[in-house]
Amino acid sequence: MQDVIVAPAPPAATPQPPRKRRPFRKTAEPFGFLAPTLVLMFVLMVIPVVLVVGYSFMDNVILTKEPEFVGVDNFVTVLTDGVFLTAIRNTLFFTISSVVAHLVIGLGFAMLLNSPLIGTVSRAIFRALYILPWLFTAAVIAVLWRMLLAPNGVVNFLLDTDVEWLASPALALGTVTFINIWAGYPFFMVSLLAGLQGVPAQLHEAATVDGANGWQRFWSVTIPQLRPIIISLTLLDLIWTSQQFALIWMTTGGGPVNVTEMLSTYTYKLAFSRYEFALASTSAVLVLLMSMVLAFFYVRHQRAED
Amino acid sequence: MPKTRTSTPADGSVRTAPRPRSKIERRRSRQRVGVVIGLVLGAIFAAAPVLWMLASSFKSNTEIFEFPPRLITDNFSFDAYTAIFSDPEKVQFFVNSYVVSFSVTTLTLLVAIHAAYAFSRFDFPGKRPINMVIVSVQAVPPITLLIPYFGIVVALGLYNTYPGLILTYMVFTLPYAIIMLTGYLNTIPKELDEAVRMDGAGSLTALWRVLVPVSVPGIVSVGVYTFMIAWNEYLFALTLTRTQDMRTVPIGIQLLMGQHSYEWNEIMAMSILGSVPVLVLFLFFQRYFISGLTSGSVKS
Amino acid sequence: MSNEAQGRRRIVLVAGVTAATLGLLATAGCGAGGSGDSGGDVTIEFAQWWEPELPDGEFQALMDEFEKQNPGIKVELISGPYAATKEQLFAGAASGTMPDVVGLDGAWVSDFASQGVITDLTALMGDVGYDDSELASQIQVDGSTYMIPVVNFVYPMFTNDALLADAGVDAPPTNRTEFADAAAAVTDLGDNTSGWILPLSLETPNGIQNDVMSWAWASGGTMLADGGPDVTNDDVTSAVEYVQGMWDDGVIAPGSFTMKEQDKVEEFTNGRVGMMIDSLAHINLIREANPDLEFSISAVPAEDGYEGERGIPYASWGIGVAESSEHPEEAFKLVEFLMSQETNAELSSIAGAFPGNTKSTPDFVADDELFAEAFEIYQAGYPANEFTGLPVAEQLMRLFGEQLQVLLDGGQTVEEMLEKTQAAWEAEF
Repeated sequence: MQDVIVAPAPPAATPQPPRKRRPFRKTAEPFGFLAPTLVLMFVLMVIPVVLVVGYSFMDNVILTKEPEFVGVDNFVTVLTDGVFLTAIRNTLFFTISSVVAHLVIGLGFAMLLNSPLIGTVSRAIFRALYILPWLFTAAVIAVLWRMLLAPNGVVNFLLDTDVEWLASPALALGTVTFINIWAGYPFFMVSLLAGLQGVPAQLHEAATVDGANGWQRFWSVTIPQLRPIIISLTLLDLIWTSQQFALIWMTTGGGPVNVTEMLSTYTYKLAFSRYEFALASTSAVLVLLMSMVLAFFYVRHQRAED
Repeated sequence: MPKTRTSTPADGSVRTAPRPRSKIERRRSRQRVGVVIGLVLGAIFAAAPVLWMLASSFKSNTEIFEFPPRLITDNFSFDAYTAIFSDPEKVQFFVNSYVVSFSVTTLTLLVAIHAAYAFSRFDFPGKRPINMVIVSVQAVPPITLLIPYFGIVVALGLYNTYPGLILTYMVFTLPYAIIMLTGYLNTIPKELDEAVRMDGAGSLTALWRVLVPVSVPGIVSVGVYTFMIAWNEYLFALTLTRTQDMRTVPIGIQLLMGQHSYEWNEIMAMSILGSVPVLVLFLFFQRYFISGLTSGSVKS
Repeated sequence: MSNEAQGRRRIVLVAGVTAATLGLLATAGCGAGGSGDSGGDVTIEFAQWWEPELPDGEFQALMDEFEKQNPGIKVELISGPYAATKEQLFAGAASGTMPDVVGLDGAWVSDFASQGVITDLTALMGDVGYDDSELASQIQVDGSTYMIPVVNFVYPMFTNDALLADAGVDAPPTNRTEFADAAAAVTDLGDNTSGWILPLSLETPNGIQNDVMSWAWASGGTMLADGGPDVTNDDVTSAVEYVQGMWDDGVIAPGSFTMKEQDKVEEFTNGRVGMMIDSLAHINLIREANPDLEFSISAVPAEDGYEGERGIPYASWGIGVAESSEHPEEAFKLVEFLMSQETNAELSSIAGAFPGNTKSTPDFVADDELFAEAFEIYQAGYPANEFTGLPVAEQLMRLFGEQLQVLLDGGQTVEEMLEKTQAAWEAEF
């Protein structure tokens, strides 16, 4: 079936004939592909999200049977809370550092693993070793690193120091970021490794013939080929990292003082420590709004890609 | 395949080069040393903490905290593992995790590949808003969704059932899978499937006969990660199940973190046990990483 | 193949996938039955975190005993991790799936009571004609009982006898000066040892209750006035100043700001800490983990010269009944059973805690020197935990903890810290 492209058809000429006969099916077809996704997402995701948005305009939801509509009061309360602003700053640092490091480490490891210079067996072994951090639930990663980084832990022993990695206000944010980097890079690595399989060898050959060295081939062939994947990965990782909760909660609880307070821990405390469910929803809606900006750029990019 | 003794590259293209070694070969050899050093350093970064975890699972609780720390201690034992295997309740946690994670992975891939196909190859009214919703709803912190979500699951009668967990995880894995698979499909030249469709084959034929075989590495990586998300999820697994026979491994691990004390070695042992199947799965599927659209190796 | 056929097949496939998804939703809808009544029996659900904390099968055995004594009532245990119990109850309450009987921590009572999640036990006890004279305590909100402490874990001072002896301290300290001196002496031993250990994690901020406020309570102090916060009073001020003094002297083990109770006990068990204030529940754990460790138990030191009764901090496994329960009488039967002299003694024995029934005597008091010692301390003083029954009690501890961390980090003075805490607490009351 040629051309399901309805809007800006590419210049590459597509023959027309059957097109006019079934315009409905043309439009309906992609919806058919999307139907299961849409049904599921609507019932189990959009409805709860809409409820949460509703809560954010109410007073004292959940706790009282008849919550009152309070307009944007909750938003004013949250946005003027100094801790919320600290949380945004920390979340930005945590998220951006993590995503950049994930990308760099993930791409680096993927390139190493994809190198033709190593044998199949060692390649398989290294691949398996490199995905290890992936395999554990966040609570365990938190417990493991608390153990490793304890004042009397193995890291301090090996470095011959007695640093309070997690408990020192100066280091805590950097430390949790490091833990998150460790825990998250395999996502990039495996996805990029899969992407590298799709880079046509001819492109490298052509570039080599043109006299490009390894570094130039990397920038002019590999990166452009991986671009759609890198963009998808970065988007997902930005969204996921910005709401990382269990890891932070179980290592530092947002402390010391509030140097590792993130939007996620802030929201959690509102909901389950202070029972301010409306304020927690408000904080969630603000996070949603911020990520919609990201989503907007992503979708626009998707368009440009067509 | 070269057994790496002669520093020949995997594609064997230099193998015919006679001694004296060419300049290229010497450079290759230097590069190879660099790659190996990089790989080893990376492996230490990735695996050392996990090695410590493994070692801790063989220690007694007190030895885990002894100073100076040792990798192997006096009371080296498999007690923690025995404790898990001899408890049918804990074995059930593993069974539940398998059922849920495998179902989620299969269904997610099936549903997501079609959605990704629609996003990657079609234009239709509402495409951008739909895409945007799918992307951005992921950003709502799950902890705030918990209460309204729980209400819906109870209303649908899905509370404390496998389908309840499976559908819930799909809601979290689908956006990821769709976004990633769209990315992979976008790296495949459109001419490839258009050519097939031009020959009169249907869209689905083009997807299954052409695009899917070509994007196997991507599908595998998405599948493995989907499995991981389902396997490791804790918050909803806890909230949406009620009875002990429906709980999954992460809850089992959390149950070892008590009010007053932790069963450190059992926590570690259970995590190690939980990671093994995924590791095996990955080792099995990674052969698909080699067969791709093209060989992927850099020929000189 | 014709285009028509192609199209049809395509539609069938797509429809198939959609149907499969919908089908899964639908079958699940039918499949999940309600729990509860079968064959005239009443099933009550009991949500708690106790079962996984106790030796395997022991708690279930108690429930079996209950079912035997009460034919027609079945108990379904819903066991979760302690750290998540509160959220689970909260979510359950909001969705109408609250279990009939719930395990409670004193820090949550006020919140659940004010949300109308747990029922007024005073009224229920009246309805069923229960004689509450044997109950050691009842946790009340606005004059009505909402939680009954089933067993209590008291927090005395643990001392590592060998370390103290090495440091030239013969007996466990009894007042603050002695304690500070002993802590300094142990720290001076070097080799990674510290005098005291203070967990201040903000994730589980109960260190504020057990390890900080206990200093005020041990000298008969209080942090409340007329039911409202009063943390700027002399009792709290002197306790905080005392803690700060030890912090500045460097006698507190490193890592406080993210340390939890579970870490504290491991450091002590490994012999790196001279003294700690800790739950009796840990006695057996420490013995099993490190049989060679010699340690003893004494009352938390009081202010120099203080002669009055000492408050001893405690944490409870409390019990409450859901407001939404359809079988409140059967639910209360379970409460009654757990509070009965015999059951309560048995539960106390397996948990290593003190009974909530004044008539119960757990086995260990007779058999075990350390527990006997603790029981004496317990009876010489009075149980003190002013956080129990306060609104958002956990948040209060957390707010206090945050300010204390700023103080210890050198960011403010004691007065500033307490004034800020007072203001923050007042906002929550």
